[in-house]
Amino acid sequence: MAFCDLKPVSVTDENTGLTYIIGSVFSVCPFGANSPKVYSWGQVRSISASRAGIVVETELSAYTLKSKLFSSTDEYLRAIALIECAYKKYKFDYVHEKRLLPLKSLYREFSQGTDAYIGECEIDGNDAANAFISLMNVKLVKLLWLIALLIMLVTFGALHYFVGVTRDNLLYFIPIAAASGGIITLIVYLICHSVAKSKFYRIADCDPAADLNITFVVSKFGFAACESATYQGRDLVPWSEADYFIETDKIFIIYKSNSPIAFIPKKAFGKKFAGGAADILALKLEQR
Amino acid sequence: MGVIKSEKIETAEGSVVLVSVTDGAGIIGTCSAGHIPMNSDEASVTRLFYMGNDPVVRLVCPNHGSRRSDKLASLCPGFEGSDINLREALTESFDKLTRGESLEAGLHDLFPLLQDGVYAVYTSDYYPTDGNGTFFWGAYNISHEVRGTAERNRVIGKDRTYKPCFLIPSEPPGHYSPKIKATTDEAVKTRRCQGIAFHLTGMFSVLLKGHHGAVSCVEKDIPFKCAVIEKITEPYIDPPLPQVPNDSEQPAPAHEGITGFRSPSVKVPLELFPWEMLLNILGGRAEYKPEHFNVLLKKLNTVRKKSVTNNVIPRNVLEKSERMPDIEMMESTGAISGLSDEQLDALLAGDTEYDGSVIISPNLYSSMITACSYLQFTDKNRFIDFAIKAMSRPELGATHEYIARRASAVANSAKLYKFFKDAVGSGDIRFEKITAAANRYIADYEAANN
Repeated sequence: MAFCDLKPVSVTDENTGLTYIIGSVFSVCPFGANSPKVYSWGQVRSISASRAGIVVETELSAYTLKSKLFSSTDEYLRAIALIECAYKKYKFDYVHEKRLLPLKSLYREFSQGTDAYIGECEIDGNDAANAFISLMNVKLVKLLWLIALLIMLVTFGALHYFVGVTRDNLLYFIPIAAASGGIITLIVYLICHSVAKSKFYRIADCDPAADLNITFVVSKFGFAACESATYQGRDLVPWSEADYFIETDKIFIIYKSNSPIAFIPKKAFGKKFAGGAADILALKLEQR
Repeated sequence: MGVIKSEKIETAEGSVVLVSVTDGAGIIGTCSAGHIPMNSDEASVTRLFYMGNDPVVRLVCPNHGSRRSDKLASLCPGFEGSDINLREALTESFDKLTRGESLEAGLHDLFPLLQDGVYAVYTSDYYPTDGNGTFFWGAYNISHEVRGTAERNRVIGKDRTYKPCFLIPSEPPGHYSPKIKATTDEAVKTRRCQGIAFHLTGMFSVLLKGHHGAVSCVEKDIPFKCAVIEKITEPYIDPPLPQVPNDSEQPAPAHEGITGFRSPSVKVPLELFPWEMLLNILGGRAEYKPEHFNVLLKKLNTVRKKSVTNNVIPRNVLEKSERMPDIEMMESTGAISGLSDEQLDALLAGDTEYDGSVIISPNLYSSMITACSYLQFTDKNRFIDFAIKAMSRPELGATHEYIARRASAVANSAKLYKFFKDAVGSGDIRFEKITAAANRYIADYEAANN
């Protein structure tokens, strides 16, 4: 089991007088009582995790662990990691916000082997957003040409309908039609850019790991993108959990079911080794 | 140095000593090694038992590490004794136990070397075999599936407790020396405790100390009594009691959560745990990777040095091991607490139920073999009678071969000899399946009595 050595997390809510321990089991210890309530993860009905906190629901009770109860973001993320590992085994309902990093339930414990590329850095929001934009460019380029052409024709048609094209004004109408097509296409392009950028920042805003140091691993057996404080060195997402990847000049984005599951910046490995990591990715996944 | 606290508590299984270890050195224990490429298929995970810097036992857990699946076990390089502290702690603890000191006092030097957690400590008789008739010291040279290594035994079920009783060595077979055995031959006669065992998985424990004593005990028919250390990690939930209708019609108070934590042999309800020990379990994990995990991994694939020696375990020890209770017998004793004559008659009549309840299992074949194993372990005479009756009934033909094989392990029974002789002599086709076992038994019996 991946992340099997992660230290359990204990948080105390001064208001309710309850101490919660998230570990191999979920425990609720009332202050001063000698008999805690202990739930096996199989007895948990649902868990929802957000930036605001974690809500654990059992058959008869619901417990809210606000994120401010955790002493640090690392501790909060460790609790999330423990929950996601339990989710893998017990399959309770798990509701979470969009994530920048793969869920811990996707990981398996592997020996990394000798051909592993390991690096550490923060995910640069601009790099990832630019990657989204360049991806969008690839998808949009044909559409934008089509839009420009259509707007040109429509403008030219409208001018002809309302003013009437003659030999005298034809030389004015053609540049006017071309310019209107170009301007509208540019507006569409700018809107798409801001949508792409906001798409990344929406994900990043939901994930507390966005501001932390992340460990990245690319090896023959799988890949990892995990908060450095949580990562244990032997946990990888097997390649079978991913469908394809996209490479831009600054980042690799790994996809599963057409959704990005991992952003791996090339700078994590350094210029010298990014090529080697790209080779492994290309060997293991389809490149689009 | 670890902080050790111990307490004796009374549970449904009897009194048990609980020992809590915090800040332990963690130089004896188990850890997950995940999926090791080239060693197992993609769906298998590996666990290691290690002592100091030596990987001792490798368990390959198939089916994504399912707790219901038996493991492939093999001895790694084994404990070479290079860690002096560990070796001395083991020797000192063993000396104290053999002199008759209490478990807490005897194992006091060993506890700080364990991983953090709560352990049940008790003494129990072990069969120094692999549960299949092979003497334990040398039974795990090649990785193979070992029956009874699943954490959740399918025959016993998940709710019952059982005492692990088979062994895996920690020392490589090359360490066997007839000279040391000569000294243990005398020593075992007076020892209060013959070995120290650490529970590993299912019915199996690793023998930390007392390997030569095990050889002497088997040879001299002395029970091999071990001090056992068993980590308590698994949460359990007691099945709800049947509702008793009462006049007040008050619904039973709603209760949720687990009942307690357990190991194979003991179930401890939450309220019986001292508070600090309970926090130790809740705030810990079942196993940890030691700091020197990478050293263990590197050593894992080293080939064990073959000893150039003529030191061979005596033949009579190996032969006696073959006749020791096997895993099926021990599983049956864990699965059933008793069988009345009426229940046995019902099974012989082809019924799996008696008096409105299932006797052993809804499957007749499975019930018959479990009953045979149980009787063979608990009452030889009842077993012989049951076996003869079962083999006389053609409608139970599917079980004949199994029962004949089990019966042939009962040495020197005149009743069985007569039955087998008559069966072979009759030439009846319904005894076809037992002929091979019967002929072997007749030959052995005649050789022994002439």
